[in-house]
Amino acid sequence: MTDPQSPETNPASDRGVEETLTDALSTPPLGEERLARIREAVAQEWRAATAGSSDRPAPTPRSRWVAYAVAASIAAVTIALWVTKPSTPSVSIGSISRLNNAALEVRSGLFQHRKLVAGDALRVGDRLTTSGSMLVNFARGGTLRIAAESRLSVTATTQLSLERGLIYLDFPPASTASNPLRITTKAGAVEHVGTEFEVMSDDHGVRIRVREGRIRFLGKTATLVAGAGTELYAMPGAQISQRSIDTYGRDWLWTAALAPDYEIDGHPLIDYLRWVSRELGRPLDFADAKSRQIADHTILHGSVRGQASLDALSNVLATT
Amino acid sequence: MYEADRALVARMRMGEQRAFDEFFNANAPRLVAFLARRSSLDPASLEDIVQCALIKAVRNLASYRGEAALLTWLTEICRHELADVRRKAARRPAHLSLDENAVNPLVESQLRAPEHHEPVSELHAATQRTAIMHVLKSLPEHYARALEAKYGDGMSVEDIAQQLGLTTIAVQSLLARAREAFRQRWLESSAGAACRGMQ
Repeated sequence: MTDPQSPETNPASDRGVEETLTDALSTPPLGEERLARIREAVAQEWRAATAGSSDRPAPTPRSRWVAYAVAASIAAVTIALWVTKPSTPSVSIGSISRLNNAALEVRSGLFQHRKLVAGDALRVGDRLTTSGSMLVNFARGGTLRIAAESRLSVTATTQLSLERGLIYLDFPPASTASNPLRITTKAGAVEHVGTEFEVMSDDHGVRIRVREGRIRFLGKTATLVAGAGTELYAMPGAQISQRSIDTYGRDWLWTAALAPDYEIDGHPLIDYLRWVSRELGRPLDFADAKSRQIADHTILHGSVRGQASLDALSNVLATT
Repeated sequence: MYEADRALVARMRMGEQRAFDEFFNANAPRLVAFLARRSSLDPASLEDIVQCALIKAVRNLASYRGEAALLTWLTEICRHELADVRRKAARRPAHLSLDENAVNPLVESQLRAPEHHEPVSELHAATQRTAIMHVLKSLPEHYARALEAKYGDGMSVEDIAQQLGLTTIAVQSLLARAREAFRQRWLESSAGAACRGMQ
C-alpha cells in the first residue's frame, strides 16, 4: 500500500503542511469548453427565471413607504365604496362545466361568499381563487380553462381580470370579434380576435401564448397584435418581448386535459377531427382524397365523454 | 449575514448580466474542484452535476437569504446532486458484459484508459488525496473549509475573509490554527497507518 506521507512533502513542518494540502487538494481545471457549456446552459435558465427584470428599478425604502401609503389609501377608499355599493343583480357570463375539486368558493362583494359546483353560473363581480383546475363555458360561445392556484375576477360581461395564475381561452373562428373579451393584467390587457390563447400573469408581468388566430395586447407602453405561434412577455412599464413557439406539445397538455366533452353521436367524422386538431394544436391533413371523402361521409355514433382528447381520438379511429 | 453575497443575488434577480458573470466566474470552478475532491468522477459527469446544481440555484435564487455564504449554499446543492448521482449509480447493474456482439462505443471509450495515464502514480495520488480528505473531515468544519479554500481553490486571504465573513487577520490566525490541527491529525493518522502496516 502507498505510504500517505510522500518523501517530497514533510507535513511535520508548516511549509510541509502547505505543500501537502496544495498537492492533494488542487484539482485540474474542467476545461474552457466544458465551463463555457455550463455557463451557456445556466445563463439560459437564469434569463428565463429573471425574464424582463433588468429594467425594473429596485424600490428604495422611501418609495416603498410611499407606495404602501398610497396602497393603503386606495384600499380604504375601495372598501368604503364596496361596503356602500347597492347590491344589483349580477349577470351570468357562463357556467362551470368541470371542476377538478369538490367545490369552489367565490366572493362576490366584501361579505358575500358562495360555493360553486359544476353546472353553476359564473357572474359579473365574482372573484375566485382556484385550488383545482376548471372549465367554464361562456354564454357567448367559447371556453375558459383555468389552472389551479389562479386568482381572477369577472369585472364585466366582456372583461376578466387575471391577478395571478394561468388561463386558456378558446374562441372558435366562427365566434364574433365585434365585442371581444378582454383580459386585464398588471402589465396590460389582452383582447382576442377569434382565437385560442393562454395568459399567465403574476406580480412581475404577463405571458401570452397565441395558439390560433390573433390577439391584441394593450401594454402600458405599446399596443401590438400577435399571431398564432407567438409568445409575448410584458412587464408593467417595460418593453414587450416576443418569440416564436410551437402550438402543440407538452406546454399545452394542461389545456387538453381540460378540454370540453365533444358529443360525437350523429356528427360527421370530419367535424370531430377538426375539433381534435384544434384541441391538440396540430394541422389536419389527409393522406389522400379517399381518406378525406371517408371522413366527410362517416357519421359517428356513441360517446367519448370523459375521455382525454388523444384517447378519444384513438378510440374513435379504432372503431370507425 | 453575508451582505455582499445577498447583494450579488439581488442584482442577479434584477437581471443584471454583470452580476451573473461575477456569480459564475467566482463559483463554477470552485464547485468543480469541490466535487473533484470528493469523487472520482470523470470530467463529463463533473460538468453535468455542476450544471444541474447551478441551474437549480438560479431557479431558486429567491430562497437564498444570505444566512450562509453563497458558495456554501451552492456546495450544499452540489452535495445533493452528487448524492443523487451516487444513488442512481448504485441502482445500475454492477457488471457489464463484454461478450455481447457489439459493445457500445461509448462504453468502450470509457473502459479504455487514456495513453498518458499512469495507473501506479494515479493510485498513489488518489490514496494521498483520500487520506488527506479523511483528516480534513475529522477537523472542525471551519478549519477544513478555510484550508480547502486556501490550498484547494487557491483563494487569497482577503477572498476567504469575505466568504467567511471575517477580517483578514482573523483568517490568517484561523489558517495557522487549522494548519496546526491538520499537522497533528496527519501525523497521528500516518503513525496509525504505519502501525497498521507493521501488524
